[in-house]
Amino acid sequence: MRSKYERGLKQGVKPTAATRGTHSKRSIFRRTLFLMVLCGMVIFIPLGWKLWDIAIVNCEAYQKAAQNQHGLDFVIPAERGKIYDRNSNVMAMSTTVYTLILSPRDLVKSVSNKDEEGNTLSDEVYQAKVAARQDQMVEELMNLIPDLDRQEVEGHVHATKMAYREIKVNIEEEEHKRIQEYIVENKASSYLYQIAGSKRYYPYSGLAAQALGFVNANGGAYGIEAVYNDVLEGTAGRVVTTRTAAGTERYNSYAEYIDAVNGYNITLTIDTTIQSYLEKTLEEGIKDFEVQDGAFAIAMNPKTGAIYGIASSPDFDPNNYGRITNELLSSQLDESAAAIFEKLKASNTENLTDSQLMEKAESQAYSDAVNTQWRNKAIDSRYEPGSVFKAIVLAAALEEGVVSENDHFFCSGEAVVPGYPKPIKCSNTRGHKDQNLAKAVANSCNPAFIEIGKRLGVDTFYDYFEAFGMLENTGIDLPGEASLAGAVWSRDKMSNVDLAVASFGQRFEITPLQMICGFSAVINGGNLVKPYVVQSVSTQDGTVVQNTQPEVVRQVISKQTSQRAADILEQVVATGSGNNGYVAGYRIGGKTGTSEVKTVDLDHYVVSFMGYAPADDPQVIVLLAYDHPKVKEPGSNYGPSGVYISGGNMAAKKAGPLIAQILDYLGIEKTYSTEEAAAADVVMPKVTGLSVTKAEDDLSRVNLRFRTIGEGETVSRQIPAAGTRIPGGSTVILYLGDSAPEASGTVPDVRGMTYENAKNALEKAGFFMRASGASVYYGNTTTAESQSIAGGVAAVTGTVVDVKFFNQVEDGYAG
Amino acid sequence: MARKAKRDLTMEEQLARGPLDLPFLMLVLLLLGIGLVMLFSASYYTAFRDSTKPVLNNPYYYIQHQAAYAMAGLVGMYIVSRINYQHFRWMAPLALIASIGLLVLCYIPGLNAPINGVRRWLRVFLVAGPTFQPSEIAKVTVVLFFSARLCKRDTEKQLRFTRRTGTGRMLNFLEKIGFLELVPYGVVLVVVLGLVVFEPHVSGALLVAVGAAAVLLVSGISLWWFIGIGGFGAALVGLMYVTTDYVKYKIGIWLDPWGADAQSGGYQFRQGIYSIASGGLLGRGLGQSDQKYGFVPEPENDMIFSIVVEELGLVGAFMILLLFSLLILRGYWLALHARDKFGTLTIVGIITLLAAQVFLNISVITGMIPNTGISLPFFSYGGTALMIQLAEIGMVLSISRQIPAPRKD
Repeated sequence: MRSKYERGLKQGVKPTAATRGTHSKRSIFRRTLFLMVLCGMVIFIPLGWKLWDIAIVNCEAYQKAAQNQHGLDFVIPAERGKIYDRNSNVMAMSTTVYTLILSPRDLVKSVSNKDEEGNTLSDEVYQAKVAARQDQMVEELMNLIPDLDRQEVEGHVHATKMAYREIKVNIEEEEHKRIQEYIVENKASSYLYQIAGSKRYYPYSGLAAQALGFVNANGGAYGIEAVYNDVLEGTAGRVVTTRTAAGTERYNSYAEYIDAVNGYNITLTIDTTIQSYLEKTLEEGIKDFEVQDGAFAIAMNPKTGAIYGIASSPDFDPNNYGRITNELLSSQLDESAAAIFEKLKASNTENLTDSQLMEKAESQAYSDAVNTQWRNKAIDSRYEPGSVFKAIVLAAALEEGVVSENDHFFCSGEAVVPGYPKPIKCSNTRGHKDQNLAKAVANSCNPAFIEIGKRLGVDTFYDYFEAFGMLENTGIDLPGEASLAGAVWSRDKMSNVDLAVASFGQRFEITPLQMICGFSAVINGGNLVKPYVVQSVSTQDGTVVQNTQPEVVRQVISKQTSQRAADILEQVVATGSGNNGYVAGYRIGGKTGTSEVKTVDLDHYVVSFMGYAPADDPQVIVLLAYDHPKVKEPGSNYGPSGVYISGGNMAAKKAGPLIAQILDYLGIEKTYSTEEAAAADVVMPKVTGLSVTKAEDDLSRVNLRFRTIGEGETVSRQIPAAGTRIPGGSTVILYLGDSAPEASGTVPDVRGMTYENAKNALEKAGFFMRASGASVYYGNTTTAESQSIAGGVAAVTGTVVDVKFFNQVEDGYAG
Repeated sequence: MARKAKRDLTMEEQLARGPLDLPFLMLVLLLLGIGLVMLFSASYYTAFRDSTKPVLNNPYYYIQHQAAYAMAGLVGMYIVSRINYQHFRWMAPLALIASIGLLVLCYIPGLNAPINGVRRWLRVFLVAGPTFQPSEIAKVTVVLFFSARLCKRDTEKQLRFTRRTGTGRMLNFLEKIGFLELVPYGVVLVVVLGLVVFEPHVSGALLVAVGAAAVLLVSGISLWWFIGIGGFGAALVGLMYVTTDYVKYKIGIWLDPWGADAQSGGYQFRQGIYSIASGGLLGRGLGQSDQKYGFVPEPENDMIFSIVVEELGLVGAFMILLLFSLLILRGYWLALHARDKFGTLTIVGIITLLAAQVFLNISVITGMIPNTGISLPFFSYGGTALMIQLAEIGMVLSISRQIPAPRKD
């Protein structure tokens, strides 16, 4: 090769004597030695120096950066404890739910801009490919989760600048698995993934919502969830380990694991059944009386202070606590937004446009409404207890010995209190005339109580006021007990007039919970108890770590006094203003109350009833109140349906069946008084085939009367059939000889009739009457209010018609 | 071939059966062993995560392949070492032509095996088999060809042209300054470098050039040529820095690997630095690298040394560098003691190539030079490259056989 190349250079070249590589041997040696030193030693000096520099001298910042990127320090969430009711029904629990996240940006990135041979695609082709992929993604997501909104999904998929779009929240286990399968199958994890989260789940939805509260992103926000947040939430665990670049945890020996301690479970004193009774009663009353500002009810064990139920309306669903579910509340939303709008417009300093103002007003109205539904009126609002408070005045007076059962009071319909310009009226403006103590209480007579208050005097009154817990919060383990600042006069400022009105529960404010606790002290033997809702705290495996013992704050009155007061209060329901709360078979004691909320607007009354049963051994005490029943017309004392607005006509009427329901549920046996026993259901004996005299014997034995139809000696047919349960004292029909009963008849309309008249009318038509409602002392004021089979409707002869009686009582607000 | 008795051998044959240089061989085996262990440590997580063909999440994929190639490579090395290296003299031009042919094949669609449009690879059986880089072969064939020619400089007479014509005087001048002598080398280099650069494979071309330059330097070419060409090369790089965005970008990253502009480009480098810093003096322990879990991209390739430092620490890294240093020194020692100039030049070429690779690789990792993409011999993954490397070692060993034993007085 060489020679050819040289030949090609030039003809006639003469090689010289000198070679090209003269002295090459020495130069090879020298230069090899040079390379040897260079490559074998010198080059390693900068390498070594640089490595030393990085690994030893300047390593700290780098090491920190390295640790930051592969350090993995994550929290193992502790499972939030469950909340149980007193019967271990789960009221709140946490479940793992997932959120499906799409990164539209990475979806675009996942589309290769190369064709199969690795050539870069033109921009148009690439864009088309991306668009096709996006359309496909929408399809796939819609197939995967059919209940998604297609437009929304399309919006998410095409938000290509975003890396975090929530496609669906609250994905439950089953769907989560399905989606995960899809992600794995389609290798979609670079742009589609699910993150686990925790969701608080309330199986009873709105039940006891305000008591339970709810959990938001920061933990328990309201109610028990908030107060017991520390107990419920447990301690989050922690893992300090290293991770891979893909973010997955590496399992190595350096890893430090601190286990999570799951939250404790809480068992409440609240009973879901009783709670549901309360809420149903509230709902019914609100509907019946067209109540404007909600209602509340508390059911408590008067001896221990254990709350069986605490309800407040409007309520909400803690599963979705931001939504306004209450119809009344949502219907008022626009109205209140308009009101706020006007107010904002009047003071529009920022010169906002109308639409902006409206927006502001709407959000303000919404947040007001939401806050209203979250509130537990039974605890965090104050009210004037009205006549219900008389029970406490009564107990104090009895304890002090300033009154006795034999004392008589005269009521002219009003009373003059020195220092007050006009006479204070009684609810019965005609006056109750002469009455003994029990009757005065039963009548809820204001002049009588003004007198009792006067006998107590300001100081003693105030002592009892304080002793019954009216000046302090109850200390219940629920949040938000209303502040009592400014609610009550101070001792030295309390005047005669104040004493007079305070004696019948007006012009001072307490919380409903204080009222029920004070009332409990009157009837439970004299002990003021501390109410509580958390019975016990236990670990996940059931070990009880904390159990609440009933706590008596103080003994306020003696046991004897308590007994005496209870006897008098029982008469309130049996014969007095609480008559409509009467339920046969249960000895219910209680006190009605009606108070006016003067500060807001006229005709705003709170009607309430405090009832307890059984009277001789109270197992449950219930306070039920409706705030602002609608009046027929401004200034009227009657509701739109003609009901006189008062605790006796409204709250007591609803509370009676409620208490009966609770007692039934608690398994407390009915005990009938003689009168009640007479009207109690009996079983119709078989008298056909017997002689009339023999039949008479059998019937009188079970307290049944009879009339005969037809002629003959033996009974051929009977109404009702043997074995039927009919109220005692009813008149059955015996057919003699060939006479036969009509198969059916028309039920007469007995509404408005008195007890006897109604009974007769029904029995004449071949039906039987079962009375309920007001007590059996059916006077002339007690009239049938409703009947189970409407008048004019045909029914089988012998059917028992339930008739509800009602006693219009005048215990309304007066003053 | 039946083994002849020693007495029947010619002098040549007797020499060719001389003993291998054991220190050199031992150093190679040591480095190869350490390299395999470190490759396994560095690669198993990446292999485990890689679900594409042919790895398929097999954590042993890289080490199995590398070990198999290492075994084959050792066998190949031994076979090459048994060849009387004098035969390489006549083989060299043929090998050069063959390797240029292979480089040309890289440009022929259908026969080449491009990755992402880069045409560096061929399949061993063209249509099938594992891939290899013809530039790896070109490196050693250029060294061989240059050695085979340059070893005869001493016996080549200088040319003298007629002084009567201007051309003649010109040629005389060119011959005098040694230019004419360099023309064939230049032509070969331009052809080979051109083919390699436009694959594109700048780092491969750089190595070819380094190997050739080493042989040329040692063979006694005037140093002015090196200064001149070196200056020209530097000027070229400077020009490219000004004119080419790509080069500017690369060098920009090198100058400021922590800057915002280098956020994506400097990632690999930064991760390497983190690894080295994490290692500290004594390292995290074999297999304990945190950085290999996906942080250092392709830790089994060019970045393997950063994982080595992280696991074995500065001490381990210095030990390995010491081994490399000893291997290189021993290589040059063999070159100095080689029986003839051909042997000397061949070893110098091969060993300089090796040293250059070690230097360039670790310089890149430590940020002394811009990223070039040069693998670390015996450590980085690459089966065919390892085999070729071992074959080169086989040539050195073959030459070492013919070193006369020192006289025993």
